[in-house]
Amino acid sequence: MSRRATLFVLALLSATTSCAHPEIQDALDRLTTALAATPNDASLYAERGELYAQHEDWLSAEANYLRAAELAPGLPRLARARGSLALARGQVSAACRFLGQAIALAPSDPTVFILRARALARLGLTPDALADYTQAFSLLAAPSPELYLERAALFASPADALRSLADAFVRLGPVMSLQLRALDLEISLSRFDDALTRVDLLTSASERRELWLKRRGDILVLAGRQAEARATYVAAQTAIAALPAWLAASPDTVRLSTELTRLATTSP
Amino acid sequence: MSPSHHLRRLVVLTLALSAMSTLRAATTIIRGPYLQSATPTSMVVRWRTDNTEPSIVRYGLTRTALTTTVKAEGITTEHFVHLGNLKPNTRYYYTMGAEPVARPAAVGTKKVGAATPAAEAQDGPGRAPTSSFVTPPESGSSQPTRVWVLGDPGTKGDTQRAVRDQYYKFTDKRATDLWLLLGDNAYPDGTDTDYQKAIFEIYPETLRTVPVWSCLGNHDGKSANSITQSGVYYNAFTFPTRGEAGGVASGTEAYYSFDYANTHFISLDSHDSDRSLDGAMMTWLKADLAATKRDWIVAFFHHPTYTKGTHDSDKDSDSAGRMTDMRQNFLPVLEAGGVDLILTGHSHVYERSFLLDGHYGKSTTFNAATMVKQKGEVRADGVVVYRKPRARTAHFGDINVVTGSAGHAGSKTKPPALNHPAFYISLNEAGSSVLDIDGLNLTLTFLNDQGEKRDRFTIIKE
Ligand SMILES: [Fe+2]
Repeated sequence: MSRRATLFVLALLSATTSCAHPEIQDALDRLTTALAATPNDASLYAERGELYAQHEDWLSAEANYLRAAELAPGLPRLARARGSLALARGQVSAACRFLGQAIALAPSDPTVFILRARALARLGLTPDALADYTQAFSLLAAPSPELYLERAALFASPADALRSLADAFVRLGPVMSLQLRALDLEISLSRFDDALTRVDLLTSASERRELWLKRRGDILVLAGRQAEARATYVAAQTAIAALPAWLAASPDTVRLSTELTRLATTSP
Repeated sequence: MSPSHHLRRLVVLTLALSAMSTLRAATTIIRGPYLQSATPTSMVVRWRTDNTEPSIVRYGLTRTALTTTVKAEGITTEHFVHLGNLKPNTRYYYTMGAEPVARPAAVGTKKVGAATPAAEAQDGPGRAPTSSFVTPPESGSSQPTRVWVLGDPGTKGDTQRAVRDQYYKFTDKRATDLWLLLGDNAYPDGTDTDYQKAIFEIYPETLRTVPVWSCLGNHDGKSANSITQSGVYYNAFTFPTRGEAGGVASGTEAYYSFDYANTHFISLDSHDSDRSLDGAMMTWLKADLAATKRDWIVAFFHHPTYTKGTHDSDKDSDSAGRMTDMRQNFLPVLEAGGVDLILTGHSHVYERSFLLDGHYGKSTTFNAATMVKQKGEVRADGVVVYRKPRARTAHFGDINVVTGSAGHAGSKTKPPALNHPAFYISLNEAGSSVLDIDGLNLTLTFLNDQGEKRDRFTIIKE
């Protein structure tokens, strides 16, 4: 039996195994029934492969994709699905090849660019990966913060990483996960004034100013501005004093308060 | 684009324009209205029409004086109107369209308390029905709050309807303030048609009078993508991404938070967002937990931390490890942040834990002596009572509720094991949960599809 045939049999077996994937069993049953009626429908095999892939059953996914490819090699969703599968299995070069085909078939699908960007990044082809991220970002109405972090992580230079986040703040607003990454990057570049500006923005938007004032004090210490740091720690204490009594009495707040007292009195 | 595509688009456009001028009066609302992203001072009203038309909402403080008009830009079939500058805790009446439009097709439902059935009956045929909503109270204020919680509702079947009708009977005149969908809202694939049949045609009255919030389930995830924030789920819902409803800005509708009175609600994406320890969702969650000043913290997401229902949280392969990720990565952070209640679905049963802390492994590692913080005292009325200090305290304990049977329960002939030791009670019954928060008391009732209150517990903060 050829490799393909073996995999195909495996796929059929797993498609009829009811205990392995209870959460997708209904969907598998529907597809298997549909395939019994139209056994040469490549898109049904592709769909079944995607279902297995969602549940990380790579072997069954691949067997279904292979069968779909035999039936309809040019099926648009197939190249993307196979690229995605290859990437998940660590077959990065194959992933790039399939995803390249997918892009040729569907050049306005941002997901394919994201997948290929990840594959290219794993191959160390950073400029190409960045170009794919840029393409994906231009196709998306609202790229997720995860994507911005992924792209920022590719830059060797913190300044470039920081620049890559600027677009996120314009498009998505002051996203916390990205603000915190930007803050770390500013500090790593010793751009303390810019870091303080970011913290001030976070402080003004927060109901718990003391947490951000503490962070502000810490940045001022790093900047060597001790007197301002001490004053900021005192301001954080004042913010704690303004909290409702029950919140001020919470163990975390009490711990913070003790720490602030120590910092306000012992900072050089 | 090919010339034939251009031609086809031109024809469609011409037809659409001529339809607008000649068929305006025949425009029918085919989805909604429904209420989204409620804040004390704003509300998003959404609906869908069969033909394109301008998006207009007229609203006011009395049914007979809809004196304010808000019009969104452009013409569309997917209508989205943001009402701003509202007063907190205030009932507003509203209707859609500048001109009379037809009533949506009738579907068999009962009213939920917030609307006034007698008054709504005055709307004649051919008019958009006048509905009403109440804006949330100011964040931090204390006010009795009723939350309807539906996990895995969208089967479109008799059980879903029975669960719904028993809740309507139970709540009766008591208005619902908000409702939560815990994912798998529309079986089997979360397509637009699935959503239409499983949500919009099943709960129309609740949708137009009570703001609905959701998290993403695996069946919703078949037609949606979190990283691109696209697909049916993301198109159907509008959630706050910039912290506008009380939480910290998440930048995505996949996970977000909001306040209602003295409760902070956190919606997580257990299905399709990065669940790693250094991912964007985790970074956001930590900041969000630290930032809230509300008395209560309620987190909800689809995949349960513990279950021995129609899924098994001990099997890493079940749901591709998502339950394990939520238990090992997210639960410790939620418990450190002082979460009080965790609501999940996915497993089509009702399972409710003791007041717990620190159980992040498989059920075989469960140690009741160290992890059960309180077993609960059973009061004379049968309610199980837990007590926590009002001062928010990390790792004081939280209750995990799996309530994933609003559409169907597990098999009766091959019933699930329901033997996870973390749970105080486990039931293979269809039903929904009712969360009542009143000041420093939080009570959850599991109401089955026969209208029986099968579990009831209260957490009291003092
Ligand atoms: Fe599910």
